[in-house]
Amino acid sequence: MSKATARGGVPRRPGDEDDICPVCKSSRYLNPNMRFLVNPECYHKMCESCVDRIFSQGPAPCPVAGCNRTLRKQRFRKQTFEDIQVEREVDIRKRVAKVFNRRQDEFETLDDYNDYLEEVETLTFNLLNGVDVSATESKLTEYATQNASIISRNATLEHQESANLEARQAAEREEARLRREAARKEEEDEKKAREEGRKEVLEQLVHGNKPAADVVKESKRVELLKRRRAQQSRALPALPSGTPSANSNPFTFKGLKSTAAPTPEKPYDPFGGLTDERSYYTLQDYYEHPWLDRARTDTHITAGGYTVTEYCARAMFEAFSGLGVFVGEEVAGRGDLPGGNGAGDAVAAAEAAARAEKGVS
Amino acid sequence: MIALPGPPTVQLSNEYIGTLDAGGHCVLEMPSGTGKTVSLLSLIVAYQQYYPEHRKLIYCSRTMSEIEKALAELKSLMKYRADQLGRDEDFRGLGLTSRKNLCLHPSVKREKSGNVVDARCRSLTAGFMKEKKERGEDVELCIYHDNLDLLEPHNLIPPGVWTLDGMLRYGEQQKQCPYFTARRMMPFCNVIIYSYHYLLDPKIAERVSKELSKDCIVVFDEAHNIDNVCIESLSIDLTEDSLRKATRGANNLERKVTEMKSTDAKKLQNEYEKLVAGLREADKGRQEDAFMANPALPDDLLKEAVPGNIRRAEHFIAFLKRFVEYLKVQATHALRPLLSPSDSIQTRMKVLHVISETPPSFLQHLKDLTFIEKKPLRFCAERLTSLVRTLELTSIEDYQSLQEVATFATLVATYEQGFLLILEPYESETATVPNPVLHFTCLDAAIAIKPVFDRFSSVIITSGTISPLEMYPKMLGFATVVQESYTMTLARRSFLPMIVTRGSDQVAISSGFQIRNEPSVVRNYGNLVMEFSKLTPDGIVVFFPSYLYMESIISMWQGMGILDEVWKYKLILVETPDSQETSLALETYRTACCNGRGAVLLCVARGKVSEGIDFDHHYGRSVICIGVPFQYTESRILKARLEFLRENYRIRENDFLSFDAMRHAAQCLGRVLRGKDDYGIMVLADRRFQKKRTQLPKWIQQALLDSDTNLSTDMAVASAKKFLRTMAQPFHARDQEGISTWSLADLERHKEKIEEEKIRELQEARRNGARGGAVRDEFEDYEMEAVMMEIDT
Repeated sequence: MSKATARGGVPRRPGDEDDICPVCKSSRYLNPNMRFLVNPECYHKMCESCVDRIFSQGPAPCPVAGCNRTLRKQRFRKQTFEDIQVEREVDIRKRVAKVFNRRQDEFETLDDYNDYLEEVETLTFNLLNGVDVSATESKLTEYATQNASIISRNATLEHQESANLEARQAAEREEARLRREAARKEEEDEKKAREEGRKEVLEQLVHGNKPAADVVKESKRVELLKRRRAQQSRALPALPSGTPSANSNPFTFKGLKSTAAPTPEKPYDPFGGLTDERSYYTLQDYYEHPWLDRARTDTHITAGGYTVTEYCARAMFEAFSGLGVFVGEEVAGRGDLPGGNGAGDAVAAAEAAARAEKGVS
Repeated sequence: MIALPGPPTVQLSNEYIGTLDAGGHCVLEMPSGTGKTVSLLSLIVAYQQYYPEHRKLIYCSRTMSEIEKALAELKSLMKYRADQLGRDEDFRGLGLTSRKNLCLHPSVKREKSGNVVDARCRSLTAGFMKEKKERGEDVELCIYHDNLDLLEPHNLIPPGVWTLDGMLRYGEQQKQCPYFTARRMMPFCNVIIYSYHYLLDPKIAERVSKELSKDCIVVFDEAHNIDNVCIESLSIDLTEDSLRKATRGANNLERKVTEMKSTDAKKLQNEYEKLVAGLREADKGRQEDAFMANPALPDDLLKEAVPGNIRRAEHFIAFLKRFVEYLKVQATHALRPLLSPSDSIQTRMKVLHVISETPPSFLQHLKDLTFIEKKPLRFCAERLTSLVRTLELTSIEDYQSLQEVATFATLVATYEQGFLLILEPYESETATVPNPVLHFTCLDAAIAIKPVFDRFSSVIITSGTISPLEMYPKMLGFATVVQESYTMTLARRSFLPMIVTRGSDQVAISSGFQIRNEPSVVRNYGNLVMEFSKLTPDGIVVFFPSYLYMESIISMWQGMGILDEVWKYKLILVETPDSQETSLALETYRTACCNGRGAVLLCVARGKVSEGIDFDHHYGRSVICIGVPFQYTESRILKARLEFLRENYRIRENDFLSFDAMRHAAQCLGRVLRGKDDYGIMVLADRRFQKKRTQLPKWIQQALLDSDTNLSTDMAVASAKKFLRTMAQPFHARDQEGISTWSLADLERHKEKIEEEKIRELQEARRNGARGGAVRDEFEDYEMEAVMMEIDT
């Protein structure tokens, strides 16, 4: 009897009856909390206590006869699938999928993509069934090294997509919750309003001196009108959100959005698109100038890290920096400010620059 | 004299022909038992024969008996037409039902289960079996099916209307298979009568109804439940047991594939090459296969090639296995909390560990765990069909579960919205032994029926009780051209609807949750039944909201001695969930009504009795509806659906529940009145009916006088007695003439009157037009008037 009640709540599942650890032969009857673990090395099933007993002292060979693989305790884990073959298949797939993560938009035609899929599937099957394992493994590693960048890129894309999806789902859930709340509130309000209306009628009947029938009629009329208004207001917003066409579409729309996302972001530009590109001159490596030679060779000068190229670049930059700035226009824009000085400066700078250019080259 | 069904029908015909000409869908409510079927049929047939295109009529009904009835009506109609016209028209009308009902093969027809019949039939008729035979192998074939090939393919059966029985008889005579005769003759028929499922269930519709042309006229009769039919046709339940069977099926399939590889690798290779080319190519010659089709797969997908990773048979089987294993993992998820010994409060767990998930999140989890992508999942059902065909499997019933899983896979990957996965640890509410069930429920009735509305230009949805009419277009997502509820014209007041809100002791009666088990309420209900069993001649039908409530109330009545009292006047019979027991009870009930004092049948408002069974004439003189038949609101599936309706169609929970309860109540009431010479009493016994009476069908509302509402039991009894006395007066058929049945002269008079009316209206309109802007104001006044009228009542 006690056994029956103890088992009453626990569902009988296939394989429950022969829940016996193949290693220590203890059964679920003796140990109701028995858990089975497997090691992805050989997928032999054993109970938790066996794992503790055998592998606590470090790596040891699998206790199942004829297996002889060395297992580590760390890698033991709970079996996810009932079918151990599927468990193994999924592990292999995890490995394969990490490497072969091409996406459909990378292929020119659908047929190419399908061929690729089949190729991958065949590779997986080879690994699964032990056909040409070494050749397949080498193919796998070869592919992985060759396409490392693409693989990592696709992996991040995938990650992003799943994150997006999760965020969207969370947002949808939240929205649904809000809507639910709103609907409940609306209902409550309505109930409250009705209640109040009734109370008011009673009040009027008690204190007022109108005939009772009139009061009741009046209140009913008000209520009907109110209800009608409420219905209208409810019917109006139904159009944008509730139309079936809007309903069937968002799926494609969403799909578009998530595929458009993965354009890689540009590095941050602190100058907002301003560059110091030289458009009026080209900086040369070597400028002939007698007193520059001294600066190049004198250790007193170079020891501190002074370089002539730096000086030249700065000189050139300063010489040309005013070009392309049309002070006249800016002044016209400013309007009231006196512009004579600025204009004179610009001209002088240009002349100086021209001279410098001539002199240097 | 032409026995025309009467004024509403004439009105109907005017509006209806308009719909047919213009194209468009309509919702019509016509009182039950007033010749709805025959008037629709005669109208459409006349229309069909008048125009040269001969648009085909597809008439869908719900049950076998209704199909049969419609066929009989059609037959007599055609006979009448032939008599009147003096010639036989070139006309074919056929009914289609399952193989189980139409099989003639001596051993197959003895099978009890429909699935077995289908599977065995397929093994005897499939195309590859015939090829085998031609190759000289020793295989058994169905002679009835083979004989069909000897006939002209467009003339398998002579013109005329064939009832199901007639088909069977003809088939036996000519040694030809009635089922395949009907299937193959469908393109050549003028009228096809079959069950909803042939059009709504995507698995079957794809196969049976694909070739029907666009201009067909589609009629859904008895369609008050059509939204539920739509939903059911796309919902799938998977239990652990069926998942186990699916695994077994996959293993079998694997073995078959390896076998075939060693013996006939060429065939697999051929299939593979076809699949590389695309699904459509692989699709040829599957017209008569019994195995499933793709559920509502979009057309663009069919043109696409099958994804590469399930092209090869062995890859696909591994794929299926992985998917089934994943589902098993899901199923154990629901159980996990139960397995931990620390939890002991069972009821709490029951509430806690129901998991509901949307398809996208399911797919995401699936991908994370088993690396199954969405796309191959979508092709699952189609791929399985193709594989089964290639392997030439004959024992299909072994793969039923696998097929279910594959259909599930396709659906879950195809639809993001309108579906929900609900995982419950218990199969039913009362179960104590956990058995996880994965419900994949469709929440949107519009999905299944959408292809029908898209394809056919005129769809008519009709029933005796489909009020409120505007609910249906909303739920099914279509626009109507005509939406009309017709009232009944009767020569006498032949039915008496009443609303009883109080017992004789003035205590309000209701099946509301708080007071339903109070002794006073139960006693008052008991008294009501007792009083009516005293005064009603012949049969009484009593409807309860649920089996559970019925059981509890019956046991309480037993304790109060009410049943003993009823027993003095009538036999008491009870409907049970078991259909065989129920049919036995019905049989006894009929016998008791035919000879004796009659009987009381206690049944449930959503059970079998309330749906398909008529209590005409003395089989039902009163019907009592005890309590408002609300649905069980704690069900997860219902909750999900309510939420969906609110979010997407702006139908509020309470509105829908009340609508649903009232359509079932109306359906129950409609059971007793099945014709113009029939009479009966309809009692709605609940306080809450008082407010809901506006939701009843128009024809009942019209007959429901104000003085018959808000009654107590004794007043109701007095009123019923008076009614029965008037009904006892002699009533001749000719009293009805000119009122509820019209002769040709009456019709002509009506036509004149209508025309006069029209002229008057036009003149009025012209006068109004002269006045210009005044029209708008008048409309407002009218609105106000309506409001005031409501108040006065």
